[in-house]
Parts: sequence; structure tokens; C-alpha cells
Amino acid sequence: MGLFFNPFNNLICILLGISLTVWFTMLLVFIIVPAIFGVSFGIRRLYMKTLLKVFKWATLRLERGAKEKNHLLYKPYSNAIIAREPTSLEEEIKEIRRSGSNRDLNSASEFEMSDIFYFARRGVESIMDDEVTKRFSAEELQSWNLLTRSNYNFHYISLRLTVLWGLGLLIRYGFLLPLRVTLAFTGVGLLVFLTSIVGLLPNGRVKNYLSEKVHLMCYRICVRALTAIITYHDSENKPKNGGICVANHTSPIDVIILASDGCYAMVGQIHRGLMGVIQRSMVKACPHIWFERSEVKDRHLVAKRLSDHAEDKSKLPILIFPEGTCINNTSVMMFKKGSFEIEAKVYPVAIKYDPRFGDAFWNSSKYGMVSYLLRMMSSWAIVCSVWYLPPMFREEGEDAVQFANRVKAAIARQGGLVDLLWDGGLKRGKVKDTFKEEQQKLYSKILVGAQEDRSRS
Amino acid sequence: MGALNSLPDEPQYVGLAEKTGFSFEQIGILHKRFKQLSNNGETLRREDFNTIPDLLCNPIRSEIIEAFFDRRNFRQTDAVGTVHEIGFGEFLLVMSHFRPPSIRLDDEQKEVIRMEKLRFLFNMHDTDNDGTITLEEYRHVVEELLSRSGALGKETAKGIADAAMLEVASISMGHMEPDEFYEGITFEHFNKLLKEFEVESRMNIRFMNMDTTTLCK
Repeated sequence: MGLFFNPFNNLICILLGISLTVWFTMLLVFIIVPAIFGVSFGIRRLYMKTLLKVFKWATLRLERGAKEKNHLLYKPYSNAIIAREPTSLEEEIKEIRRSGSNRDLNSASEFEMSDIFYFARRGVESIMDDEVTKRFSAEELQSWNLLTRSNYNFHYISLRLTVLWGLGLLIRYGFLLPLRVTLAFTGVGLLVFLTSIVGLLPNGRVKNYLSEKVHLMCYRICVRALTAIITYHDSENKPKNGGICVANHTSPIDVIILASDGCYAMVGQIHRGLMGVIQRSMVKACPHIWFERSEVKDRHLVAKRLSDHAEDKSKLPILIFPEGTCINNTSVMMFKKGSFEIEAKVYPVAIKYDPRFGDAFWNSSKYGMVSYLLRMMSSWAIVCSVWYLPPMFREEGEDAVQFANRVKAAIARQGGLVDLLWDGGLKRGKVKDTFKEEQQKLYSKILVGAQEDRSRS
Repeated sequence: MGALNSLPDEPQYVGLAEKTGFSFEQIGILHKRFKQLSNNGETLRREDFNTIPDLLCNPIRSEIIEAFFDRRNFRQTDAVGTVHEIGFGEFLLVMSHFRPPSIRLDDEQKEVIRMEKLRFLFNMHDTDNDGTITLEEYRHVVEELLSRSGALGKETAKGIADAAMLEVASISMGHMEPDEFYEGITFEHFNKLLKEFEVESRMNIRFMNMDTTTLCK
């Protein structure tokens, strides 16, 4: 029996050896080498087009299946569910009072019992549907992209669709996921290794040049590790040294997407563990701005370090995400003013993910970092567009908050996102007290203002 | 396969639809909202309402939130008191006070709906459930609506509340003797005061038309 197994063992070993060699060669030729030189074979774009055709077919079958059974396809609402009156507080209260017709209009300045209608209705309206809480859950799709996570109509799947879905599952978890994980490890490993080596060189032009090449190469490998298909628009506006680049934030992948097209100085808190190792080796090759946890609270220190960095024209542009947290990529929330107080050119960048291929939003209260990355790596692809907007300056007489809002509006407009006034921190925190008193003050003003009119007349 | 649920369970909704008057689709949407607010739990508590920023801006938010937990709004006759948590059924029942009236209602049904809405508002004022809105309770609501800092001081707010109360008393009781004491606004007085106001149109929320795939009939 032992003799019988031996030749087989040998055969299996040889086969395994050959296939591994072929595998790694293909990996090298088709993925790593292009990443080093920054060229692309266009394989990913072909892949994307094929996928879109398959998705369209799948959605049609779903709809046909639903029609045959004469059921309603559950189309989740994408925007508002209730029609809100666009009138202001003042107009509405006047209208309510007017409808109590036999009251003398001039006496409408006094407090009326009916005024409470308005507030009660607005309160219940906001319980039914509000702008902010919607933004913090993943955007819902209109067509199915063969991922279970985004399907709501499981009843209507025919045999063919199930087979297709099963095939998709096999490809994604059996082939794509291991490939991507290998690439990710290669990319990160190379980053740590090569930046440490470059860090040994003396400061100078050679070091900067090499560091740039190393960073770009490793980020490009990571981009391929996620099968991210990125379209960069308006590259002539790319951030230059001494500037600050601001972008909207949907997921930690944003960093990889931006950094694979240009070199930036990152800003952030030093972590422990693997992230910390990566951060520490990156800073050896070129200056990034990492803060200790205790320093993060000290706003003056943060501002000082940022402006020192920005003033030095030989240093790379700083990359900041002013929203402070991940938003689900349908809107842009309030930008924190800290980054806009510094005297430097601001280069806004808009990032918009295509939700048809995979949901890139990181719901940090639902998923941890590792499970998020695994989800990303087992999606079909991550398709996104990056727009580089022309640089903006803070104008005379404009304070940081106004400037921040101006930049935010530009980003929202370019990316086709909704521009919201709300604070991204609301995902975890509460509304500040100043906002609460706004409505009260407005209402009091109506009463007082009207009373003053009366006493004058 | 771990299917996420698609169309909600029909039989449970039939009962709710009859009681509240919402359509199945509206119930489905509100159910989703309920799940979102309660973090996929079965019940809602008062704290869950604090996650809505728009609501936190509303001056009478505490009254509105209390209304959801007030058993008088659950359409059970003679139920009083408050509860700590509510299920989806109660949530829908309270919401149904703001449902737009359907067009095909006769006058009697319209009157019933109007009474319900007025009763809801009355309950919002009458926190100790003694059947009358006393001066204290009314003053409390007025103060909530006005700003404590800023344009009006506390004394002015108090003055406004007192003046309004006086007006109410004069309307409902006619002329009062100097030593007569005005108990408070009863529901009948409340009704009389708000007679002219179109409660039906001012106190309802319109759902937008949901887009559905066309069915082959």
C-alpha cells in the first residue's frame, strides 16, 4: 500500500508545485509589474463591463419573476417618504391663525393655542422620516448585484438565477478573495519593508524620489488587491506641495484611492498593532503627521503642527477628511473647521463610489475593521470616481466655518451628493444645545416682534 | 441563504391596517422606520427618540415623546398612565392620529377624526390626566415654546401664559365673579376654542406616492 501511494504523492507534489509557480508568475506579470510602473492592461475595466451586463440580466429576471407571480417587488424608498411643507415657521403660524377666520388679524401677535399644531406636526414628521439618520445606513440599491447582502426580493429567484448566484459565490470566495488577500499582504509587506530601507538613506532629493516611487507602487498593489476601478477627473488640479487636500469620507479605503495617484502626507492618530507598525515605517521615508492619542485633544498643537507642515514647501500636501467620520456616500456632512483655519491653499477632492458593485460605506457601529475589509474583498469590485477640484482660498472677511461650508458645497455639487448642514458626529453624539434653542428663539421673535409693532401703532 | 425579509407578514398587518387606517405599504415603511429607531429591537423606549436630531430641535419634544408612551392615545377606552416601552402596534396607533383623512368620508366620520386629533392635543397639555388643563400645565407648555434666554424673559413668558389663560376663561365661562375660581380648560372648552381651526388639514402628514412596478392585472 505504501508503494502504491508514493508515485501518486510525487505526482501531486509536482502538480502543486507547477500550479503554484504558474499562479505566482501570472500574479507578478499581470498585477505586480504593472503596479510598479503605473500602467494598466485594462483587464479590470473589461471585468467591470461584463459584470454590468450580468447584473442587468439578473435584475430583469427578478422583475419578470415577480410579475409572473403577480406580487409587488419591494422597492425600498430612496429619498423622502413624506411630503414636507417648504414653508417657514412664521408663514405657517400665520396661516394657522388665519384659518381661525373670525379672529382679528392684528391680534395675531398674541400667543394662540393653535400654534402648537405646527410644532406637534413637525415633531411627528421628524419621527417618521428625517434627513440625518437616513445617511448613516447604507444606501439601498435599485438593481441586484448578485450579493446576498443587498437583496430584498429573495422570493422571486428562478433556478437560473440561483445557479448564477452560486457561481458568483464560488468565484468571489474561492478565487477572488484568496487572490486579493495575497495581494494585500504583499502590498502592505512591501510598504513596510521598502519604506524602512528608504528611511536609512540621508535626507535629500534621492530619498524623496525613492520614497515617492515606493509609496505609489505599494498603494497601487493595494488598489489591485481590492479590485478598485478608479476614474480620475481633472488631474490638472492635483494637490501640490504646501497645500491641504480635503475630501469627503466614506471608508478607510479613501486613503488608498487618493494615495495611489499622488503622494500625500497623512494626518492621524498613532495606533497600536499592525497599523502602528505601518505608520511608523511610513514616517521614516517621508514626513507624515501622526499624533499621540493625548495630543489629539489639544487643538492648538494640532493646528500648529499642520501649519508648520504646510508652510514648508518641500513637504507633501496634507490629506484631511474634515467630516470626521464615515458617511454613506449619498451626502456630505458638516466639515469641521479645524483644517480650514490654517493659512494654506485648499484643494477639494470629491469621491463618489458606484453602489452597483459593492457598498463601500463603513458602518463602524455595525462592522469592525477586519470584517469590513473582508466584505470589501469579497465584493465584485469597487468602482469609484475621483474629481480634483480647483484650489480654493479663504477670502477676506470669511471665517473658517463659512469657508468650510463653501468647500463642502463645491464637493457636494461635483460628486452629485446632497449638501447637508448636519454634523457627522451625530452618528455617535447628540445635537448641540445651541441648535435646540434656535426654534425657541425664532418663535419668541415672532411674538415679540409683532408685539413691538402693536405698541408702536 | 439567510434571506433578508422582503414583503412583511400580511396577516399581522391586516389587523393593524383596520385599526389604524394606514395602507399595507405605509405600514411596511413605518415598520422599517420603527426598526431603525429601535435598533432592530421589538420595542421602543424614550431614549430611542433622542437619536433624531430634527426632533431634538423641536421646543415641545418632551411632550411629543410622552404622547407616544401615553396610554390615553392607544385607543383603549379608559386606559390611563404611561408605559416605559411601546411595540410597533402602539407606535402605529399614535402615528395614526396624523394620518391624512381619506376623501370618501362623510361628515360624521370627519367629526370623529377631528375629535381624535383634538383629544391627542388635549392629552399633550393635560399631563396629570385630571380632565382639565390647569393654569400650571398651560403655562408649562407656553414656556417650552418660548425661549428661556434671548428675546423673552421668564416673566414675560409667564405673562403671556396668564393672559392667554384669562382669554380662554372669558371665552368659555363668559363673565366671572371676582371670587370665582377658574378650574381649568376642560375638553369641551378646548373643543369650543379650536372650533374654527381646520385641525384635519393642519394636523396630518402626507405620504408621497411610492413607486411600484406595474402589476399585470
